[in-house]
Amino acid sequence: MANPRALDKRRKSIRNIKKITRTMELIATARFKKAMDRASAATAYTDRITQVVGDLANAGLEVTHPLLEEHAEQKSGALLVLTANRGLCGGYNGNVIRMGTKRRKEMLEEIPQVAMDVSGKRGISGFKFREIEMNEQFLQFDDQPAYEEVERIANVYLQRYIAGELDRLDVVYTQFHTIARQTAVVETLLPLGTLDGTPDEKSGDAKQSESVYEFEPSAESILEEVVPTSFKVKLFKCFLDAAVSEQIARMVAMKSATENANEMIKSLSMTYNRARQSKITGEIMEVIGGVEALEG
Amino acid sequence: MANTGHVTQVIGSTFDAEFPEDSLPSIYNAVTVEVKEGEGTRVLTGEVSKQLGGGRIRCVALGSTEGMVRGQTCVDSGSPVSVPVGQATLGRVFNMLGEPVDGRGEVAAEEIRPIHRSAPKVEELSTNTEIFPTGIKVIDLLTPFVRGGKAGLFGGAGLGKTVILTELIARIASSHGGYSVFAGVGERTREGTDLWNEMQEAKIGDTGKSVIEQTCMVFGQMNEPPGSRLRVALSALTMAEYFRDSTGADTLLFVDNIFRFSQAGSEVSALLGRMPSAVGYQPTLATEMGALQERIASTNKGAITSVQAVYVPADDPTDPAPATAFGQLDAFIYLERSISEKGIYPAVDPLASSSRILDPQYVGERHYTIARRVQTTLQRYRELQDIIAILGVDELAEEDKLVVHRARRIERFLSQPFFVAEVFTGKKGEDTTIEDTIRSFEEICDGKWDHLPEQAFMYVGAVEQAEEQAKQMAAKA
Repeated sequence: MANPRALDKRRKSIRNIKKITRTMELIATARFKKAMDRASAATAYTDRITQVVGDLANAGLEVTHPLLEEHAEQKSGALLVLTANRGLCGGYNGNVIRMGTKRRKEMLEEIPQVAMDVSGKRGISGFKFREIEMNEQFLQFDDQPAYEEVERIANVYLQRYIAGELDRLDVVYTQFHTIARQTAVVETLLPLGTLDGTPDEKSGDAKQSESVYEFEPSAESILEEVVPTSFKVKLFKCFLDAAVSEQIARMVAMKSATENANEMIKSLSMTYNRARQSKITGEIMEVIGGVEALEG
Repeated sequence: MANTGHVTQVIGSTFDAEFPEDSLPSIYNAVTVEVKEGEGTRVLTGEVSKQLGGGRIRCVALGSTEGMVRGQTCVDSGSPVSVPVGQATLGRVFNMLGEPVDGRGEVAAEEIRPIHRSAPKVEELSTNTEIFPTGIKVIDLLTPFVRGGKAGLFGGAGLGKTVILTELIARIASSHGGYSVFAGVGERTREGTDLWNEMQEAKIGDTGKSVIEQTCMVFGQMNEPPGSRLRVALSALTMAEYFRDSTGADTLLFVDNIFRFSQAGSEVSALLGRMPSAVGYQPTLATEMGALQERIASTNKGAITSVQAVYVPADDPTDPAPATAFGQLDAFIYLERSISEKGIYPAVDPLASSSRILDPQYVGERHYTIARRVQTTLQRYRELQDIIAILGVDELAEEDKLVVHRARRIERFLSQPFFVAEVFTGKKGEDTTIEDTIRSFEEICDGKWDHLPEQAFMYVGAVEQAEEQAKQMAAKA
């Protein structure tokens, strides 16, 4: 049995860790609420704009837009990986990095050149460790990513895509489904693909409202505006999802860390008490033994 | 006319006797008493350990004191307990008094020697230092044995000390040209029987001779009174010393379990009127241990290589008994409960165990560097364990994740199938050469085998077998 003093020291340091994790848990909970509100607000907007684009496509128009066309020759791709700036959020960063590394390998099999763009300190250091070269690094996104910042990045991608410098863009991020479920996913954002890709049951409503729209001045000019916006919004949604998921991941990780710390303190206290007790018993026995021996 | 006296007092396993004032038996002399037992009588031997004055002596009984009565006649034998030594003792089983207990008749020994002798002088000691390979990876890598040195197996109850000791006997004795002596001190009698049977089956190399023909065994097991357990190691040692001094052969001495020697000492200590010292042990603990251990030495006439099991009470290595034994040894192997709980056998703690010759001067630069690398990796893993327990593996820095990844593989790779544990592991024993051991650990540290699953490293010899096992596992899945 270890000596009581060492045990007590260890217990103290675990108590300190527990204090930190408990605080982090509370902060994450507060931040999560804010991020969640923003994300759900954005969800409504994204859904709507996707619907509008879908409607446009269904309006029987000849839809042509450079962003919708797949380039015949795939020469250069980009992979955008969204991680957090901070750790202490369980497997959040690790999962995204792992998926990113895997996707990069897959992309390299099809496309000769893949540029890595990474957001978040954790991802940057993760890829640095794996000795994967990075093109762009973003550190400015925290729990509330600003639309302007995302738009700036989106514009760069759009320009490069239209100019033919970029043939494909994949984004790796953590998708937010519900509070209990977030998964690391890969999505191909460019080329945008077919427009009528509204995934959920809302496509039913979209078909009904088909004839409601009138395009002014023309469907083409509206398309010109809506398609890039749709991309930007989609990208923004990725950032928002990532931010929400990060807070949830941190909340969960810190909650279980606090619980683990509690457990450990409990078992250490037990060992400590036992060690202390047996030390006392030993000493008493020695004193008694000594006295008896002197008397006898 | 023999020097006689009479019993005046019997206290537990000690007794007092009165002799004429001018012919007291000297300290350590054996005195005998004829004790009634059932219909007949038996001879009880005692050893003089104190002269009380007034013609009285106090003796430690080397057998049971049942049936002793005050006033019985007590005969001084004029010398300490003596045991037969020499070729005649090979293949036989003795008790502490040197009497054969294997039921195969008298021992025709040419010579008997007293069990109390002094340790070899400093100028007689051998200064040669050479590594003694065992074929067990964890021992050869981290706690290499010294030829002619002493190695201790420390461990709490049920961690496999006896299994490792038996394994070492099976490995070393069967490839060893010299003689072996086994001392069973205060352990289970059953284990002695098992060992005896095993030694008859085991053959030395390809000579067709069984190991037992080159071995003699001395037992003073749990059922014996403390006096017997206190002296049985000395009896065995005396036989081993004869082989060393008279034949010059390399001699092996196995002791299971040296802690019982200290324990027996503490049992009689209070009866002899000594004041108990720390944790209730006898105040002479270090003296007794020193007197025994100093005699187990290699001289320029021959070498005694000894392996001793040491029980660690309550898993506390700071307990005085194991702590005193610790200082005497060249190689120190500590068995750890948390490792045995993971199902890794031998449960050697790679960080707590050490050896005097794990030094570039003796084992070579490469061996030393790799042993240290293995220890550093495991040390780092142990430091990280608290963090992992609280925050999880995902929170570690990338470098630390790699350390953990390798440390977990190294930890499992330190296990090894034993010849004597075949029934438990279902695998044949593995003998790994030192070269293979060093190379395997080097490659694991370098990350050559990072891709294999952890489980593949359990119970294999060289690292190639881990690869083989990984393939089998993949095929099964």
